[in-house]
Amino acid sequence: MMDTIELFNYVIAFLSVFSVTFFILLMLTYKKEYDHEPELKPGWTPKISVIIPAYNESEHLGKCLQTLLELDYPEDQIEIIVVDDGSTDNTNEVARSYEKNGVVVYSKKNGGKGAALNYGLERAGGEFIATMDADSYVMPKTLKQLLAYFQEPEVMAVSAAVKIKPTGSPIKELQRVEYLMILFSRKLLSFIDAVPVTPGPFSMFRARVFKELGGFDEGNLVEDQEIALRMQAQHYKIKSSVTADVFTIPPDNIKDLLKQRVRWQRGGVRNYWKYKFTINPKYGDFGLFVVPLHFATLAAFFIMLGLMIYTFFFAPYYTRYVFIETLGISFDTLFVPTAFTLISAIVWLYFVISSFKDEQVKLRYILVFFFFYWYLMMGYNLLMVYKEIRREKFHW
Amino acid sequence: MAERKISLVLYVIAFIIAAAVFSIGVFVGKTIDDAVVNDISSDVSSLSQRLTTTQLLWLLEEDNPNFCSVYVSELQEVDEQREYLGQLLTVLEEKKQIYAPETKKEYFLLEAQSYLMAKKLSSLCMDGEDVLVLYFYSNENCELCTEQGTAILMARDESVDSEHIRIYSFDGDLGSPVVDALMAEYNITEYPSVVINERVHSGFVPKDELLGEFSDDS
Repeated sequence: MMDTIELFNYVIAFLSVFSVTFFILLMLTYKKEYDHEPELKPGWTPKISVIIPAYNESEHLGKCLQTLLELDYPEDQIEIIVVDDGSTDNTNEVARSYEKNGVVVYSKKNGGKGAALNYGLERAGGEFIATMDADSYVMPKTLKQLLAYFQEPEVMAVSAAVKIKPTGSPIKELQRVEYLMILFSRKLLSFIDAVPVTPGPFSMFRARVFKELGGFDEGNLVEDQEIALRMQAQHYKIKSSVTADVFTIPPDNIKDLLKQRVRWQRGGVRNYWKYKFTINPKYGDFGLFVVPLHFATLAAFFIMLGLMIYTFFFAPYYTRYVFIETLGISFDTLFVPTAFTLISAIVWLYFVISSFKDEQVKLRYILVFFFFYWYLMMGYNLLMVYKEIRREKFHW
Repeated sequence: MAERKISLVLYVIAFIIAAAVFSIGVFVGKTIDDAVVNDISSDVSSLSQRLTTTQLLWLLEEDNPNFCSVYVSELQEVDEQREYLGQLLTVLEEKKQIYAPETKKEYFLLEAQSYLMAKKLSSLCMDGEDVLVLYFYSNENCELCTEQGTAILMARDESVDSEHIRIYSFDGDLGSPVVDALMAEYNITEYPSVVINERVHSGFVPKDELLGEFSDDS
């Protein structure tokens, strides 16, 4: 038993060191290109449709629409579509109040976010489609910053820089750190054409993507990830911007955060499993690194959990007298790889935060994120398994 | 459709760095392990010296019970540290497969020293309230030895007079002269074997039976 545990420990430690090193090498390789964002050539203003699926979003929808109306883009070239997915609050009234500003509002029976997006897609006339979450809002220049990427004909989709405004709320600040880390990583992955998600808040696509690949996967828990994986499976290029800002309202309590993340995790596992065939060199770095990393990370979580349970409940009796030594803290071959991974991860996090010059994050949140947020992630995974076993349905 | 990239150079460099980190880890781990074994060996020696000093005092004062408090407290302190060192040696063997036969032999010598002293003190200073347990095991060809070790520790922990139960574990296959002598003394021919206050139990002794023996003797 101990030999098997040792082997798992070694494999996890090696993969951790390898992954962290790979990301740092990516960072060093593309350091000069990281800050370079393409500039939109003057006069190019193709028609753009923005689709906002909304379900009980009366609280945030107004701000979302207001900022979309203030986008720096010719009014006659932008079409804003709200699809009210059978809301039971006054979302419809809020949306309708913007009809005078040219916002198009559709109401349909509740069918889920993917279905609402597809409903909007069928009615959208733009050459480019932007999806938008009703609880998010954009900056005036965001659209043009994203559009600039499409000057490269091969680019089929661009994800915006999804961020969280500083609020001082600890739970939101931790999510801010996480969002910045994800954003930074996604940017690096875009250099090797391996972006695995086009987030709901203001990702932009060429309209022909949906004609060629079909619409969003209705009923999928994370349809914004599924469409990206489908695009990767068809070798479509996805880029990521770190300056085209879109701000989202994150959950402000643990219960809602868990609910959101469990949904992401459940959907994520299902989606990656659906596209597991992309673990193949013909999918480039996406198939060689990103997809295997997803499965490896998940497996590592459960193996680590198993090891913790074993250590606490099934370890040989004598180990209670020398518990610290048994954990391998005081003397172990894995000490150096573990220390390397930890130090590298701290350096990584430092680069992430410092690369966003306008984002001030307090050191204490970075430290708490680094040392404790992983336990919350373990919680997501456990809840995910629980809900999958119970086959719980998801409603947005 | 985009042409796919494979960052082969980055994978190779990352692999080399990861392998280098692991190699350094193995080297550092080995160095630390050696240092730990040396520390244990050195601690065993110093405990042995402490016991020898106490034994000298004993020889000088013959059977003078006025020094009992000194003898008992010395033995108590030495035994606590001795047990910890024994557990460390077990962790090294079972978790890390590090065998240090010479250190173990030194350790068994210390155990025998402590056992003999406890035996003498038991009659002179403690009215025979101590329960002395000798446990003979083998790391080879003994399926029940791990279980027996656990049963002894659990029985000691669950016993009302756990502080008066002194456990001395001996690996009979190591070729230690002192262990061989003790085995000959108690006619130990199989593993596991447990000797509780001179009574020899050959073969596995369940925890409940041990508890009964401990309570009878304490």
